[in-house]
Amino acid sequence: MASIARSALLRQATAAPLTRQSVIAGSVRAAAFHTTSRRSLLPPLPQRVEGTVNDPAPVPEPSPSHGSYHWSFDRLVAASLIPLTITPFAAGSLNPTLDAVLCATLLIHSHTGFQNIIVDYIPKKRTPRARKIFTWGLNAATVVVGLALYEFETTDVGLTEAVKRVWTA
Amino acid sequence: MAALRSTRSRLLGSARPAFRLSAAAPVRGFAQLADAAQESATASGEPAKLKTFQIYRWNPDKPTEKPKMQNYTLDLNKTGPMVLDALIRIKNELDPTLTFRRSCREGICGSCAMNINGTNTLACLCRIPAEDSADLKIYPLPHTYVVKDLVPDLTQFYKQYKSIKPYLQRDTPSPDGKEYRQSKADRKKLDGLYECILCACCSTSCPSYWWNSEEYLGPAILLQSYRWLIDSRDERTAQRKDALNNSMSLYRCHTILNCTRTCPKGLNPGLAIAEIKKEMAFSA
Amino acid sequence: MIAQRIGTTALRRVAAKPDAFFTANVARLSVGAMQTRPVATERLTPADANSILAKQRLNRPVSPHLEIYDKSQTFFGGSIWQRFTGAGFSGAMYVFGASYLAAPLLGWHLESASLAAAMGALPFAAKGAIKFLLAWPFTFHAVNGVRHLVFDFAVNSAFKRRTIIQSGWYIWGASIVGGLYLAFFL
Repeated sequence: MASIARSALLRQATAAPLTRQSVIAGSVRAAAFHTTSRRSLLPPLPQRVEGTVNDPAPVPEPSPSHGSYHWSFDRLVAASLIPLTITPFAAGSLNPTLDAVLCATLLIHSHTGFQNIIVDYIPKKRTPRARKIFTWGLNAATVVVGLALYEFETTDVGLTEAVKRVWTA
Repeated sequence: MAALRSTRSRLLGSARPAFRLSAAAPVRGFAQLADAAQESATASGEPAKLKTFQIYRWNPDKPTEKPKMQNYTLDLNKTGPMVLDALIRIKNELDPTLTFRRSCREGICGSCAMNINGTNTLACLCRIPAEDSADLKIYPLPHTYVVKDLVPDLTQFYKQYKSIKPYLQRDTPSPDGKEYRQSKADRKKLDGLYECILCACCSTSCPSYWWNSEEYLGPAILLQSYRWLIDSRDERTAQRKDALNNSMSLYRCHTILNCTRTCPKGLNPGLAIAEIKKEMAFSA
Repeated sequence: MIAQRIGTTALRRVAAKPDAFFTANVARLSVGAMQTRPVATERLTPADANSILAKQRLNRPVSPHLEIYDKSQTFFGGSIWQRFTGAGFSGAMYVFGASYLAAPLLGWHLESASLAAAMGALPFAAKGAIKFLLAWPFTFHAVNGVRHLVFDFAVNSAFKRRTIIQSGWYIWGASIVGGLYLAFFL
């Protein structure tokens, strides 16, 4: 039965009345699809599949320094920022060492945060050169800002005190 | 067929009685008895509850044409309660070219996963919101390559599933030569994980997966990964962890938690991923 | 289903209007001696089939994502604002750091004393606005950062669907209140 039903000739034989039925005034309307953004920055590429459907996706080499160690380190830094930001303001006293530690932690936190952004949005496979430029640009910027923070800590009043003064100005 | 005719007469009302006559001409004699019964039941004066469905359409036979949204209006009084019922009715009665996957219609096969009103879910488990009159928008799973209309290509998803070796890996035979036993507590750990039907709703709800589906495994596959990681019978836990220990496979998860919010089976991929991360942080 | 219906309709028509070709074919089919398909098919090697598939894949559009997904999960989600506020703050720090180093060369005055003086010279409203624009991202990042740390410890109760949604809105409230407090009452 099924083979008869699906034969194209039979379908053609009765196609005409069917299409007539399906055009019902007002119940089927089409509109051009407008919600896709026209100028996306990195539009997805046409689909290409590596290997056949039955090959597993490649598994990368383990590298804990980019994986679990990096993640744990990130969390430690983030968690340590909580007491580091609260203490100087809550205690009211200024400790240059604590201030320096805060600056360093902030810098590391910012650096890994920017790294995450780069890894997320600048795919290595697709834009290897941009990835490299951004990664090394970030490294350079972090060094520069590290220097600047050192300058600020040594020649100026220090981060916490500066924030305090500007805030209460 | 008869149901369709009455929809039409309701739609057009008494304004165009001539249309009804002409439209009634090409009648197929199939299931007419049941439909006639239905018609007499609904013709008793219940007002038509019209709902418009905006559905994403793209035809691979016309690749130069851009995807478009097509509107279909149905009378909810004659449609089943779920979105899948509406889709099947549209395909049967309004537009046989509408293409979508469906199989079990009870949320166990995962075929009819699609984006309905902004969130991914299974069409067969999603009620048509009858109370609000806004159009219901149906898209294929987000950021997937579209095969046709609502059918996404999940090749990469399945390849990634294969890459985590989703099966029991063991070298030592069981002590009594029978099946591998586990304690009740160990078995309990698999609850909330083994129920996953791999519908890809969670993975395609994850922005991280949208941008990095080449390398990031995504919530569904990571949930499966965790299911094998904590299985007390599996003996390759270390290798499984090693396979995830890089910057892309696991750690592109930023705990956005769209996955947990969208899972049509009520599972918790976000929690599973958090457990993997925690385990890897404290054991490695 | 439809195809089957069409099939029956067609058969019925054939029965009503006898036609030599049709009756012969239908008779043969119903006997089941030989199946004829009035469709031309061609033999394809797996490699050829694969190349056709690969060609079809190139045409496929990517389904809409960010623009159609539930806005409360994408644009108002805590996660992306964690990134926005963090990147904003760190970006500001980087810009300030770089210009602080360059200031002596360019003749700018970015020492804390002159910054404080510039801030003090502003009217109250401008001062409050600037402070709020600095304080709100800070409180948001801090509050949501704590929420994320809780998530990272895989605290079971934090992952309930309703808790996720509620805490997502609470961080907005808490961060705005905290930002206003830091900007105007400190």
